[in-house]
Amino acid sequence: MSERDLRQALREFISHELLMDETAALDDEQELLLDGTIDSLGATRLVGYIERTWGIEIPPQHVTVDNFSTIATMAGYVERRMIDGSGS
Amino acid sequence: MGVRMVYLLQQLVAEAADHDPDQLALVCRDSRLTYGELEQRSNALAHALIERGVERGDRVGVFANKSVETGVAMYGVMAAGGAYVPLDPTSPPSRLAYVIQDCGIHHVIAENRQRPTVAGLERLGVKLDTVIGLTDADIAYPAMGWTEIGSRGEAPRRRVMEQDLCYVLYTSGSTGVPKGIMHTHRSALSWANVTASEYSIGDDDVLSNYAPIHFDLSTLDFFGGAKGRATVVMIPEEHMKLSASLASVLEQSQITLFYTVPLALVQLSTPGVLDRRDFSSLKRILFGGEPMPLKHLHSLMRKLPETRFFNVYGPTEVNGVTHYAVLGPPPVDGDALPIGLPYENVEALVVDEEDRPVPQGKVGELAIRSATLMRGYWGRPDLNERAFYFRERFDGLPEVFHRTGDLVHQDRDDVLHFHGRKDRQIKSRGYRVELDEVEAVLITHTDVVGAAVYGVPTQDGTTEIHAAVTLTRASAATPSSLRTYLAATLPGYAVPTTLTVLEDFPRTTTGKIDRRSIAEATTALSRIGEKS
Repeated sequence: MSERDLRQALREFISHELLMDETAALDDEQELLLDGTIDSLGATRLVGYIERTWGIEIPPQHVTVDNFSTIATMAGYVERRMIDGSGS
Repeated sequence: MGVRMVYLLQQLVAEAADHDPDQLALVCRDSRLTYGELEQRSNALAHALIERGVERGDRVGVFANKSVETGVAMYGVMAAGGAYVPLDPTSPPSRLAYVIQDCGIHHVIAENRQRPTVAGLERLGVKLDTVIGLTDADIAYPAMGWTEIGSRGEAPRRRVMEQDLCYVLYTSGSTGVPKGIMHTHRSALSWANVTASEYSIGDDDVLSNYAPIHFDLSTLDFFGGAKGRATVVMIPEEHMKLSASLASVLEQSQITLFYTVPLALVQLSTPGVLDRRDFSSLKRILFGGEPMPLKHLHSLMRKLPETRFFNVYGPTEVNGVTHYAVLGPPPVDGDALPIGLPYENVEALVVDEEDRPVPQGKVGELAIRSATLMRGYWGRPDLNERAFYFRERFDGLPEVFHRTGDLVHQDRDDVLHFHGRKDRQIKSRGYRVELDEVEAVLITHTDVVGAAVYGVPTQDGTTEIHAAVTLTRASAATPSSLRTYLAATLPGYAVPTTLTVLEDFPRTTTGKIDRRSIAEATTALSRIGEKS
């Protein structure tokens, strides 16, 4: 899966499942944790979604602002984990 | 220096600055302010607000995420003689517009990030006299920026009385619009005093500020902290939502008192989150807002054996009322934690429908008399009539009690135990939601004929909101379009997780919508959905 597809899948999950608004326009660089787009329950659901969808286990110490603040950083994190199994 | 008379909330900062101006007051991300700086900057802001027309008693909106300047804004508004009204940056514009118009707000202090929303509010017909930028970077606002405020550090001379308002917090209202809970300097200062004394807050303490400023938990952090001359570390929004980031902020800031909602503790108790970290500074954890799941509390208490845990309770209307010290890890399958013993300045009665005390051990409504009691609901005499009742005192004068709407019983040791609500208010992730408000908003949709909104308990101990609706025959509305409709009016935490369209509602024998059987049927359906 290319990084573009990763970003698309994340955008869809966030807009459909977390924002409950399929028409939401999400920018890949938008700070999702700061402006209330993703709340703490949403973050937990997002981590679960990534684990199930891409078959990776995300240890708690990887659930950080660096990895999860934007769609771009999330996609980058998932890609790194799929390539070499390492985190940040 | 003589003794300073402290009868206004912001004077706590002045007093701390008298004592040690270099003591750290507020920390957020890379910014920090000492008590001396906090006093100077909030006084300077107060002068600027007065020049812009803010008068005694005016409500001033604070529209910002966490930053040390947000703290300056809160204190600056009070020093100008006004009351701060937090505007939740995650609220939809129509709700913000309602709050601004309902509360008669003409002046708003906003961070740059909120600028597009402020412009949008003006398009919704909101007229603001002044919008003040929160920091130097926000100078792009009309009127003024931070630099222009200057450095006049003396408090403005204003006659402000302890019965004047100091803040108004908006919360869910059952009629479909939020209601503003008014607190005075007297009630808020009493709360600061109770907190600092009960939890022995002192100048070697570092309090966290977890809750956003529109959430009443934040008042313990800021004002209890200022009373104790402690340092308050505001946990940035982006760090609150991720358990590992939250754990790392708590560790690195060497927080000594962490006040939060159960959900955050459930997340911290997840295996691995607290491993290989040093929490030797963390002496007290306070949690409140909704019941704490015992399984997670048990595991957290085992991981943090040196930390003392308190279950605290109190509606926004009366600030904190009771607390219960949890002495050891509770049995995982035990009863819910008690809400505890009333604080020293609180009289707690368990009463029946006629406000008469019920016998000990019997369930009734909790009624509270306390110096921490609100002034009332802003502009809502109807609600105030229900909220208060008066008891004749021995000298023939009335004493005011607040009916909380919470059902409790008092055991032999006077400890209070929670039994749910009299009405249909629930707590979701610590936030108060009136299910009637969600129903009232759903009904305003032209296609919706009937609506039933109900809470379903989740595994991590909070309550999820779900809804079922019946629609007009020709309706093209979908669950997704209806949720989008709700999200335009309600804060995110009040939007139902699922929305089911039904042909007709099941009814009770008396003809009322049978929400319980809808809840049972729809949760059973979703469980089948998960398995398949």
